[in-house]
Amino acid sequence: MDTEKILGLFKEITSAVLIEIGVVFAVATLIVLASQRVLPWLAGHLHGKQRLFALALIPTIRVLVFIVAFVWVVPLVIEPSMQNMVAILGAAGLAIGFALKDYISSMAAGMVAVYELPYRPGDWIEVEGTYGEVKHIGMRAVEMVTPDDTVVFIPHLKLWTKLIFNANNGGPSLMCVADFYLHPEHDANVVKHLLEDVGLTSPYVQLSKPIVVVAKEEPWGTHYRLKAYPIDPRQQFQFMTDLTARGKNCLRALPVKFAQLSPEHAAQAGPY
Amino acid sequence: MAESNHWQLIPLDTFERPSAPATTAIQQAWSQLRKLFIAEEDDDVNPDEQDFPHYREFDLAPAVAAIDTCWDADEPPSVRFVISAPFSGSGAIFREWAKQNGYQQLEPPSLEQLGQADTDAWWQQQASERWLIDEFSSFWLRTTEHMQFMRALLPRLLRGELGTGVVVIDSWTFAFLHRAWPLSLPHCYCFAAATPELLKDSGVIASDKRLRNLAAKARGNLGVALALWAVEQDEERSLPRLPSEADDSTAFILYSLLLHHGLKGEYLQMVLPLMAANQLDVQLLRLQQNGIIDLDENKVWRINVYAYPDVREFLAARGFWLDGF
Repeated sequence: MDTEKILGLFKEITSAVLIEIGVVFAVATLIVLASQRVLPWLAGHLHGKQRLFALALIPTIRVLVFIVAFVWVVPLVIEPSMQNMVAILGAAGLAIGFALKDYISSMAAGMVAVYELPYRPGDWIEVEGTYGEVKHIGMRAVEMVTPDDTVVFIPHLKLWTKLIFNANNGGPSLMCVADFYLHPEHDANVVKHLLEDVGLTSPYVQLSKPIVVVAKEEPWGTHYRLKAYPIDPRQQFQFMTDLTARGKNCLRALPVKFAQLSPEHAAQAGPY
Repeated sequence: MAESNHWQLIPLDTFERPSAPATTAIQQAWSQLRKLFIAEEDDDVNPDEQDFPHYREFDLAPAVAAIDTCWDADEPPSVRFVISAPFSGSGAIFREWAKQNGYQQLEPPSLEQLGQADTDAWWQQQASERWLIDEFSSFWLRTTEHMQFMRALLPRLLRGELGTGVVVIDSWTFAFLHRAWPLSLPHCYCFAAATPELLKDSGVIASDKRLRNLAAKARGNLGVALALWAVEQDEERSLPRLPSEADDSTAFILYSLLLHHGLKGEYLQMVLPLMAANQLDVQLLRLQQNGIIDLDENKVWRINVYAYPDVREFLAARGFWLDGF
């Protein structure tokens, strides 16, 4: 392909076209920046589903603005025929693909994330052992804050190959589990009913959701798991603290002895 | 009398809240939006502003007559439940009805009896053939130790072991009961939502449209409607607003007060052990300064009637388990 043919694919770039491209770029940037400022502020004043909806709008707006700006700008630069489009975008795609493979792959995964919704702002997710709340979904990476207030940037690229665990999946329901390890000599039904009441009387508990207690006999005693949902996912750690503190007091008053686990038995048990 | 009486006692499942006219709905949405944007501007609380006009008490006689119209006096079931929204006055109405019909008003159990779920000791002190429990909210506390009494008492009431009676249950307690004791209670009644005619009878003089708006704003609750009307009539007053510092702890306190129809400080501490005593005091005093709650002569903290709509909205926005009214 000679130079004349290549130049023939493009339109003549006049100053008016340059200004139009500049204006489109500026307006798109303004809209995205405004949405990134206004929507988190609004979400800070809301709770539950409304908060999560406001947060979920941020990446959606950005992708929509990006698509509109792209569709607007490309015909200004390229002669809009199928042949031209395929030639230029194909060549550009090949070049970018080789040079910025991971970056582009992350951006593509970011687009897929907006459509598939494996995580949204406000969700509590775990990726490769790191757990936290999604604060921001960028073009290339997702920004997460751990319970210890550490910001973690995870490239969207992980979406292709890694398991993403989402604890609340866009809704306000997030199950919390409080563990109790008891000496085997006790009435399991009494303990089960008591722990259900511990859940029911927590001010954090979401009463529209089930409260479940499961027990498993272990060589060292009985392992109880009290499962319930807080009203707001952000309350999960206070909720578990409340369940543990009051649960311990009630069990001690019953009275039930707590199991004394040796270090080899204290290893993390699998969920059930 | 029967034709002109706008009070109606109805089965609970037929209750309908008055719908707000479109303009009122838009006004409410606008007011919520404004609250969102001006929430940061907290009022400097002026203690004088707590002096709200005392809203006019309504006449109990037509409400009592409505009970007799609805219920067959000859063959009453063993127990009937009346679900009462806060400030709707159902407790006072049924106390009056009980006096006229020879029903004995039962005293709530002591804290010790609640803890031991000792329904026998409580009943034997005051056994009677016909009785009224005018405030079922006093028959439990939201702690693991103080819910067993309620669970022991309800089956006895339903089996007819304690004779014939009427139980007035606060709507917030009733909503919680659905979760804590998931059996549908039979013979549940409530007063129908306030209509413009009932508001007129209760002394609110305004156009039909304004009365409909008022009834919708108060969610059909006559007591709340009268309070809102009293504030509307006084240009120098405005409804109390929750402090901008209101957080999860504030919500827990307000929810607990609604759940138990008011609580003493020490009981509130039992229900919310996660809050330190000084933290609880700060929250209570701040809410009192903002006119959200009051401390009555029995040292019981209660939600102020003027603040009730705002408190309900606040809890609804945070996803709390609400009453059905």
